[in-house]
Amino acid sequence: MAEKDEDSLIGYDPLAWMHRSDSNQDSQRDDVDELESHAASAFASANAEVPGPEMNHDEVPIIASESLTSEQGERAIVVLEPVLNIQNVAVLHQRLTQMLSNFEAIDIDASGVTMIDTATLQLLLILKQTAIGLQKSISIDFPSDKFIEASELLGIAEMLEVDQAASGFF
Amino acid sequence: MSARIVAVLNQKGGVGKTTTSVNLTYALAKLGKKITVIDFDPQSHLAVSLGVVDPQKSGIDKVLLEGVSLTQQLIPVRKNLNLVVAGPRLQEIEQLMDGGARRGDLLRKALLDGNRDEDFIFIDCPPSSGVLVANALFAADEILVPMTSDYLALQGLSHLMGTIKKFESALKRPYKFSLVMSRYIPTRRISKEVLSVIQKYFPGQILATTIRETALLAECPSFGKTIFEYRPGCRSARDFTALAKDFLEGRMM
Ligand SMILES: Nc1ncnc2c1ncn2[C@@H]1O[C@H](COP(=O)(O)OP(=O)(O)OP(=O)(O)O)[C@@H](O)[C@H]1O
Ligand SMILES: [Mg+2]
Repeated sequence: MAEKDEDSLIGYDPLAWMHRSDSNQDSQRDDVDELESHAASAFASANAEVPGPEMNHDEVPIIASESLTSEQGERAIVVLEPVLNIQNVAVLHQRLTQMLSNFEAIDIDASGVTMIDTATLQLLLILKQTAIGLQKSISIDFPSDKFIEASELLGIAEMLEVDQAASGFF
Repeated sequence: MSARIVAVLNQKGGVGKTTTSVNLTYALAKLGKKITVIDFDPQSHLAVSLGVVDPQKSGIDKVLLEGVSLTQQLIPVRKNLNLVVAGPRLQEIEQLMDGGARRGDLLRKALLDGNRDEDFIFIDCPPSSGVLVANALFAADEILVPMTSDYLALQGLSHLMGTIKKFESALKRPYKFSLVMSRYIPTRRISKEVLSVIQKYFPGQILATTIRETALLAECPSFGKTIFEYRPGCRSARDFTALAKDFLEGRMM
């Protein structure tokens, strides 16, 4: 193929991730230890499908800016980082809890998520339930396929309402 | 309504979306197909290329923003070929953000509405990936991607495929997807190499005819003419006739 050719004019092949994602095998993901083994292996393969660096957050079809707060005290928008794991769950927790006390509604843009662990998903679930208790709302907008996949694996897609979010994509 | 809705899409600028939209639709119309082509780019290059120059004339903007019917905005520009211009307010859609970017279904709804009898609706997309393109992707059954054969276009294609996959998973349906090699320069080695990389990833999805880079194709928009009217029978006109047949018959590389 072109990229193996000695004097090819094509150096780095930007489309390579498309083939990688067809044949996902091993992943060099961080351990997702709190998962039971079934879910863990499914997670690993989901992570392996994450495309290369060319597929990053700035290519979501619709870009919401992080500080887009339409009106103080009304709604806030939070854009999730591509990689969410136990290392940053505490920070996210603090940030979202604080926002929940300041705003009536929080829209969480999950379009850029390429990897999410159970700790983060649990946090989102708890916050969503807390919000309901406070008669406020947290909604997850534009969940990426990785996000949907992970929450379905944990059986919380319905509780997070990501299935609806996806069908009402816009 | 059973028209096939085709989005001519590539977020990269200048790859030949508008040139393809103009000349492929004209060629299809000449072959007897009934076509509506929508200028979905606030730059209005499609309308200009078809000789319609009236910056104040409303078009798809009014359909999306005010709910006017699409049928009302059709301009018969050639035999079997209707045009819907962009209109001066189309840019506003791109800026609609509040209440969520949930305005992605405007075009789909507008196209479903009314009973027209076209065989194809083509959407000439702007070079961006904002709300307009989201509308086009939401409405389309098929995506036709004009692709130039240079290295950065390959990079752009990678980006575009990421976006398309995201939409497919959100909409839970796959698109019929095809590529057209446009502005092709057969004498350049990089052209062939880029093409062979694309063939590796998109077997059976590249339309058989390549549209070559020619001076005539670059000239005709300024006269508001398709290549068939500007220089009938020239090489590029023949390229587009062959491309139209490929498109109808599903002939791929
Ligand atoms: N095959 C070709 N040969 C020569 N010139 C071409 C060819 N295809 C397109 N062009 C010229 O290249 C320029 C860009 O083409 P075109 O407008 O079709 O691209 P586009 O993708 O629609 O651009 P934009 O992203 O700005 O909408 C135009 O000036 C056009 O006339
Ligand atoms: Mg154009």
